[in-house]
Amino acid sequence: MKLEFKDLLIDQTRFILSDSSPAFANSLRRAMTSEVLTFAIEDVRVYDNSSALFDEMLAHRLGLIPIVTEYAGYTPRDVCSCDGAGCSQCSVTFTMSVEGPRMVASGDLISQDPVIKPVSDDIPIVKLESGQKVVIEARAILNAGNEHVKWQPTTICGYKNYPVIRIDDNCDGCGHCVEACPKGILAVVDGTVCVKDGMDTECSLCRLCEQACLNSGIGEKPAIHIDMDPKRFLFTMESCGSLPPATIIKEGLQFLKNQSDNLLETLEDL
Amino acid sequence: MIPIRCFTCGKVISRGYEEYKRRRTEGEDPEQILDDLGMDRYCCRRMLLTHKEIIDEINPYQ
Repeated sequence: MKLEFKDLLIDQTRFILSDSSPAFANSLRRAMTSEVLTFAIEDVRVYDNSSALFDEMLAHRLGLIPIVTEYAGYTPRDVCSCDGAGCSQCSVTFTMSVEGPRMVASGDLISQDPVIKPVSDDIPIVKLESGQKVVIEARAILNAGNEHVKWQPTTICGYKNYPVIRIDDNCDGCGHCVEACPKGILAVVDGTVCVKDGMDTECSLCRLCEQACLNSGIGEKPAIHIDMDPKRFLFTMESCGSLPPATIIKEGLQFLKNQSDNLLETLEDL
Repeated sequence: MIPIRCFTCGKVISRGYEEYKRRRTEGEDPEQILDDLGMDRYCCRRMLLTHKEIIDEINPYQ
């Protein structure tokens, strides 16, 4: 099994997983979206709220704010020694006290831990007019995306089979497939069709080129064939900002490893 | 208020709304603004394009 990064940016990545299987690729995708722990606001205590939004709506909006996550020193609440009561080991407290007129933004949340804070300070929460006031205390806990999407570290996370484009010798370079390709990855060079350099990953496997080739009257079979490699997968993953993409992949893989170790242990105990 | 995240993909889209609103009132093409804001997918783009802000209409009745 091999991982090859095509690009690794601060909030998104594209990588190729090769020598693998569809089952593993899907397990990895599911682990990354729903099993990686992140911080999100779970409990909100409202001391004063005279804004136009109900308390519940305010709490919902606070929950969706992505929070920079650092695991060091924190445990999920359900395994914490405080038995779910909420202590400094399993939760981070935020306080906010704002008076109008102005826009309440995520930057107004003051965290007890300077590392665990909203990913950006300019996410609007509610607009206050003069005389309106919001005073709250919120608690963020570690949890996973299978509990609620607010704990999901990824936004888009998906994969496709690696496209394999074959062009037969009987290609006459008519260029019909070049026009048909919606991604523009084909070109005619020296009287025959070829794939532009490094563009093969852009292919969406739509097979419009095969159809165009047949329609050009080449015969019974097209001269261009689109197949997919069953052992290579092209992943696209975008982080919401709470964790860097590399950490999400690492944590996802770690989860799969722990799961299979647990299974082995259970089997040995039988 | 503009939703914090895109309903479909979960990207945080509310950050760009103030800029979108300002540039839209200046008469700029929404396509250009959304491209500048890094809204690549049509799910995120519709969030800003189709949003109707009503908080200012509700606020007098608090």
